[in-house]
Amino acid sequence: MTEENYRHVYVIIEHIDGNLLPVSLEMLGEARRLFDNFNITYGSKEKVVAVVLGHNIKNLSKTLIEHGADTVIIADHPNLHDLINKIHTKVICQLCLDKEVAAKIEPSYALEFKKPRYMFFAADSIGRHLSSTVMAELDSGLASDVNRLVISDLEINHQIKTGGKRMIYKKTLEMYRVDFSGFLWTTILCLDNNNEKLSIREYSPQSCNIIPGAFQPIKPDPQRNGNIIDFKPKIDEDDLKIKILSQKFVESEVDFDSYRTVVGFGRGIQESPDKNIKMIEEFAKLLNAQIGISLPISKNVFSASPAITSNYMIPARVIGTSGRKISPMLYIAVGISGAMQHVSGMEDSQFVISINSDENSPIKDASDILLIGRMEDIIPKLVEEIQKQQPIIRVK
Amino acid sequence: MAPLNIAVVVKFEPDLTEGNISYNSDGTLNRNQTKNTLGPHSKIAAQAAFYAKVKYGARISIGTMSGHAATNALQLAMQTSDADVLQLYSDPKFAGADTIGTAEVLKNGIGKMEGKMDIVFSGHRATDGETGQVGPQIAWKLGFTFLGNVISYDVNLEKRTIIAKRLLNLRGVPEIIQEVEAPLPVFIAIDPSYKYYFDTVSLRLAAEKYKREAFERAQNYKDYLQSFNCQELGADETLVGLVGSPTIVYDVQRVPKGKATRNAAVLDGSNPEHIRQTVKAIGEALSAMVIK
Repeated sequence: MTEENYRHVYVIIEHIDGNLLPVSLEMLGEARRLFDNFNITYGSKEKVVAVVLGHNIKNLSKTLIEHGADTVIIADHPNLHDLINKIHTKVICQLCLDKEVAAKIEPSYALEFKKPRYMFFAADSIGRHLSSTVMAELDSGLASDVNRLVISDLEINHQIKTGGKRMIYKKTLEMYRVDFSGFLWTTILCLDNNNEKLSIREYSPQSCNIIPGAFQPIKPDPQRNGNIIDFKPKIDEDDLKIKILSQKFVESEVDFDSYRTVVGFGRGIQESPDKNIKMIEEFAKLLNAQIGISLPISKNVFSASPAITSNYMIPARVIGTSGRKISPMLYIAVGISGAMQHVSGMEDSQFVISINSDENSPIKDASDILLIGRMEDIIPKLVEEIQKQQPIIRVK
Repeated sequence: MAPLNIAVVVKFEPDLTEGNISYNSDGTLNRNQTKNTLGPHSKIAAQAAFYAKVKYGARISIGTMSGHAATNALQLAMQTSDADVLQLYSDPKFAGADTIGTAEVLKNGIGKMEGKMDIVFSGHRATDGETGQVGPQIAWKLGFTFLGNVISYDVNLEKRTIIAKRLLNLRGVPEIIQEVEAPLPVFIAIDPSYKYYFDTVSLRLAAEKYKREAFERAQNYKDYLQSFNCQELGADETLVGLVGSPTIVYDVQRVPKGKATRNAAVLDGSNPEHIRQTVKAIGEALSAMVIK
């Protein structure tokens, strides 16, 4: 492989009927920050390439350039209006491998170009699947739910990848993802197989899907210039048999937005799940609050009555990167340790009170008040005190 | 021949339920002490297949890539779906596979099942890996249309099409319910909120009959179990396990403590004055009197 075979970062833009989803500009912002640094470090001129598929979407180019894209590849076609995984996967792969597109991005490397160096997708109901199928077609690796990215030269000594020898992998994308416990950060690398005794294989693009909200967009610059490439996709007639019959927005099963207070609970309920959840239910009722949960609770880790399980231990109540982002006036975290995944979902709350038996619990750093003790002891006392002060605090 | 041929791919995962899960002192999962079982999302995929068994008389084959201990997950999946055949794909060569290396094995496994598949089901994502990548990657390798986040479905046996409802969750807009029609075969990653519903008495009675049959069959699940190693599957050794995996886990570290975004007042829950102080703060917060 030569350095010229794999170039640029391609960012797959998401929109609904031409309205950009926030994650699109967040991914572009992070790509811009990484590549400003990349081009200085490696003395190169590789590009941030925004890729957008749809119909009547040409007006998006300006916004994407203002937000950091050097190049925008637009695939505008009536059959791309509906997001159908099979069709979009094929079109993305076509434009990733297209020599004419490569020549328009960077004429000097058009002949050498094989595939993008990196690709970013969103970790949502569109990008999660699209990234998987695109990488299955492009035959490369993917990390999911990434919230930190670093590009560096790494010395690797791996039984399979390098046959136990030390080798330098240049321009490697370190993709960080938080594991399901919320406490471990795993770094995923997508590396070529350079083991002569096994198969030698090149894996590009190094790609990931990125958690919405993990990165910030850059400040838009109306003076930025960019290159717009109009790509003519080839659509398989057979794929047009897949049809979207209807599409409608629905209210979420759990409404957080119209409540001024949200009470969230986590693994701290474990001593007596049924009893503790009923207690939290009464507490929330008194405060006219909605009830949320931390991610582990949605996995039915505790046995409780069917009514409690079906009402509370459900994904729709999860607050955090795997669920909803909330911003109530008051958030009360009961028995929640404060894993990063949860904190990112509640950190915009105006005031935060946490109830936890561990004074060193990470939730402390995201709280205005940390009340130390067992929830079983504290909540009844709070209820009693609220009832005394109720004329002051009741807010409809 | 059954009117509909269905495969379900399932995963043997750490059992996160109370009493079975074990944590290290730092809050991370103790994998050695934690038992394994049929993953909860895999169970929902098996339930989705059961719907087709009752409604369309489907034939169901279930496959998993794992060690031999996973046979109890296959047994549970059989009991849930009333499956006709169980398949275990087990070989040291499969160890260390990332999602694409896993998808390659499962694609080959589905190829070993009897007849051409009309629908393949998988769970939404594994509880431990949580990538959600394996399902769509198997679909792509099989050349099947992929439908993710499916909350309900029905098949038109004459037209050989499926109509499925999908629940899309995109940050920044309300949830979307999409109804999609596609010709068979399809690969469905079933949404966690999926629940089957039988709308006629005859279907409900049939469901009871199939549940009894499933329970009895699962007692003798070994009679229905087939095992395959890499060679028997006919899988390309360079495409499976660590050798066939583009990605590696380079490092695992504790998530560094983030910068404190708030400066918490630490209060004692057994101190009545501190309880009063907390309730006063609740009142102020809800009156928007707190100036941050």
